[in-house]
Amino acid sequence: MKIAVVQFPGSNCEYETLVAAKNVGMEGEIFRWNKPPEELSYFDGFFLPGGFSYQDRVRAGAIAAKEPVIKTLIEEAENGKPIIGICNGFQILIESGLLPGTGRVDMALAQNVMVSRGKIVRRGYYCDWINLRHDSSSKRCSGSFIIDRGIQLQMPIAHGEGNLVTSTPGLLERLNEENQIVFRYCDAQGKDFNEFPVNVNGSTESIAGICNPEGNILGMMPHPERAFFSWQLPPGDTSKYIGESGPGRLIFESMKRYIEVRA
Amino acid sequence: MLKIVGLADEKVESNLRSNDIGMTVQEARSIASILGRDPTLTELFCYDAMWSEHCSYKSSRSTLREFLPTEGPNVVMGPVEDSGIVAIDDKWCVAISHESHNHPSQVLPNEGAATGIGGIVRDVNCMGAIVVATADPLRFGDPFGPKANKVRWVTEGVVDGIWQYGNALGVPNIGGDIVFNSSFDDNCLVNVVSIGVVRKNEIIHSKAPQAAGENCYDVILIGKPTDSSGVGGVTFASEALREEDEITNRGAVQIPDPFLKNVLFKANADLFELVRNLGIEIGFKDLGGGGFTCATSEMGAAGGYGMELDLDLMHKAADFSPEILAIAETQERFLLISPKSLCAKIMRIYNEDWDLPNVYEGARASVVGQVNTTDRFVVKHKGKIVCDVPIKHLTGGIKYQRDEKPRFKNFVEPDIEMLEDMNQVLLKILRSPNIASREHVYRYYDTEVMGNAVIRPGEADAGLIAPIREEKFGIALSVDSNPFYGRISPYWGGATAVAEAMRNVAAIGATPWTLTDCLNFGNPEKPESFWEFRESVKGLAESCKKIWLKGYKNQPVPIVSGNVSFYNESPEGTVDPSPIIACVGIIHDISKAITMDLKEPGDKLFLIGPRFDELGGSEYYRTIFDVSGANVPIVRFDLERNMIHAVIDAIDQKLVKACHDISNGGLACTAAEMAMVRPAKFGFELNLDKAGESIMRTDKLLFSESSGFVLEASKGVEAQLFNLLNDYGLEPMEIGVVTEVQRILIKRKGITVIDLHLDDAKEAWDKGLGEALK
Repeated sequence: MKIAVVQFPGSNCEYETLVAAKNVGMEGEIFRWNKPPEELSYFDGFFLPGGFSYQDRVRAGAIAAKEPVIKTLIEEAENGKPIIGICNGFQILIESGLLPGTGRVDMALAQNVMVSRGKIVRRGYYCDWINLRHDSSSKRCSGSFIIDRGIQLQMPIAHGEGNLVTSTPGLLERLNEENQIVFRYCDAQGKDFNEFPVNVNGSTESIAGICNPEGNILGMMPHPERAFFSWQLPPGDTSKYIGESGPGRLIFESMKRYIEVRA
Repeated sequence: MLKIVGLADEKVESNLRSNDIGMTVQEARSIASILGRDPTLTELFCYDAMWSEHCSYKSSRSTLREFLPTEGPNVVMGPVEDSGIVAIDDKWCVAISHESHNHPSQVLPNEGAATGIGGIVRDVNCMGAIVVATADPLRFGDPFGPKANKVRWVTEGVVDGIWQYGNALGVPNIGGDIVFNSSFDDNCLVNVVSIGVVRKNEIIHSKAPQAAGENCYDVILIGKPTDSSGVGGVTFASEALREEDEITNRGAVQIPDPFLKNVLFKANADLFELVRNLGIEIGFKDLGGGGFTCATSEMGAAGGYGMELDLDLMHKAADFSPEILAIAETQERFLLISPKSLCAKIMRIYNEDWDLPNVYEGARASVVGQVNTTDRFVVKHKGKIVCDVPIKHLTGGIKYQRDEKPRFKNFVEPDIEMLEDMNQVLLKILRSPNIASREHVYRYYDTEVMGNAVIRPGEADAGLIAPIREEKFGIALSVDSNPFYGRISPYWGGATAVAEAMRNVAAIGATPWTLTDCLNFGNPEKPESFWEFRESVKGLAESCKKIWLKGYKNQPVPIVSGNVSFYNESPEGTVDPSPIIACVGIIHDISKAITMDLKEPGDKLFLIGPRFDELGGSEYYRTIFDVSGANVPIVRFDLERNMIHAVIDAIDQKLVKACHDISNGGLACTAAEMAMVRPAKFGFELNLDKAGESIMRTDKLLFSESSGFVLEASKGVEAQLFNLLNDYGLEPMEIGVVTEVQRILIKRKGITVIDLHLDDAKEAWDKGLGEALK
């Protein structure tokens, strides 16, 4: 089993993403943007890592989404291979139309808008640890294949544009019905609260991650590769000092399991 | 040629100034006399940059040599190249560099601060190291003073510049501090610290390697095409700031590009791998202050060689004049000296594999000249020689012995009464911009990128990263300097900065392992400023020596890197003496590191470090009474060392669950912060009867900034902790207990002095900084 972490100029999470993938037993390598795209077919799955591809010119992810490697990835995805896009990778998936998978660019990751008590209290870039709830069922998508519904995970976010919006009528209802809303921001008790700091970036319905209808493509703003080892957790979490695994590991284990089951 | 020989002083002066050359007439004459002729314009520009205070340390060098300890058993390389390097263990080293970017940040805050980060990470990367963290000590003016609007504009721009550059580059910001003080109204301080990790046998040096001259090694310029940005950056940094020069000064600020840097770093990693695999020694250096001239001439001179360079071979943004090309401080560039046999492979790495020309218009790697065995620095442009000077004369610089004279002082201790409502006093202090939580700022910084963060800003007194996956060690980083102390006593300002930076890393369980100093002062040609500089250096050196390296009695904690930034003044006055110290700490097992948040109700709280009546410069005096006082906290060297070393041992033996050092705001703020910091679940009750002499006034006991620590003891091992501290000659004071009840409760002689709900305290502390910057 071999995965590729696709690198663009400006990516900055490719190395730790590869470390995480290898740690759960997948082989893999970093795939530079200017390599022959057809070589992507040798891989069983793909990660689009975080960063600032092409300097976030135009919009975050917009330029990378037009690269030849993404065209090839679209074909690979049509064959059912899994793709997980994290942070800037999620932005690229949205900009390329791979998510939510309607074949069009139907959503956008807009600038973070932090709203508290109905007022905007901050905008833009924000880095913190947040709580996530898995709102889809297990086996529904590649990146949460082994995660049960309702499971809570703690991970860091670090982005300026993670506020998922759409103006397409009926799209959100459909995503909800089809179980395509994979992760939502929630409070420490797992409850919804659609304001800052729980909904950390103002995202519609506190959405943190979605998948395509087929379930092989997941995009998420939080960084599982930075919550992969228990020592990476913040001090308030007692599991920082227990065991070796952090919650982010489940995303990588899921990808591995998804590839195994598919094979 | 610029006419100097045979002209009267006034004429030379006017010739220099009309060509934007800042050097003195005397300096120009000495150059002409060495050359035996009138110098060319390019030569004068090169000398002007190289002999600037920024590049040559002409005023500071003798003082630094006189006092600073730069050697130690762990030092791999002291302050000679772009970064200092110390060994962590037999295999790994940490590289550290620390600089200022003060003037650029005052005139163009965003670009100034961003290029500060950009420059410092290059200094670390060029040693062959992986850059793993940055930290920013920042000093801004009074956000509520007469220049409030400008101060807020500068603050906001600087913070934006830092996060926009660092986050995009992908290097976490794990520390730093911010102090507001009116002496920075017209001259902010933006210091930048960067650390990297490198294997001991893989360090790359910034000099022409052995045999480079005999074998005519290539000189290769890599990165962004040279443009005219940052011309005169170093001379601009070596003059006082005047408002009327603001437009000109903006032109001296460089333009940052983290995107290109991100790709360059990855290409550099391939270069390093290539030369390691082949076992070939290269020279590698970043282009910073003094641009092309500085990097080339310093690399050549350090190897004992000469150099011939051709500006026509340089990739550039447009056809600039030779003097501009020679000294422009265009960002995102590196200089490489390597054998000719490697040339094709190197060109491939940068120009094809990492595709620089398509990543950034005009960026690439180009061969621009050769090293030779002469002692000349020769630069050609359009077929003509525009610079031909003795290379060591150019890089050797000059030295001045400046006069010093104590600054007149009239500081007195105030005669003040303790106020009735101490709850309000504490709330006001917690809300003050110098004490309030830094969260408003550090949420802009990507502290998580690279996945190495163990302890982040706000969680403890120092940040901690675990940069190597297969190793257990962690690297801690903290910074410190208190300008309010420095104003009253530059000596104790220096000494306390070192002591506190060390306490900060000790408080998480790491051993202070090396230091850097960035010395920010006024105009050294003024004897009072030069005196402040010397006093501070004496003070900080004393702390390094007397709080020695743990495990190596009487061996100072070495200072391996640093920077001197003079001329931090405007016509309104000079900045308070600011010897800003960064401390790197090493912990051998990251699982033993602790944070400052209170962990469990019922745990006992201990104080070490007696309180003294030394509230000069304290938050209490300034915020509550608007006076500065006279008695600054001093460093009691033996006590300080014993406390620091004992805390490290206590944490290592798991006797302590939470620890916070006492500094600004004294015991009261220190304890309150341990409760207010996330997860903010518990309160505490303190009994001041056990906190020292009964004669000391309660307010002074609460807010004295005498050094010390508050420790939360692990249950059941209090006696062991007590014994350990006793063995170091310390007298731990059991001052209180962690409570389930979320209250900050402080009593003395049975009377409640402070009783606040945690939420109220937190509200003040959380919001203070945001309010100051609104």
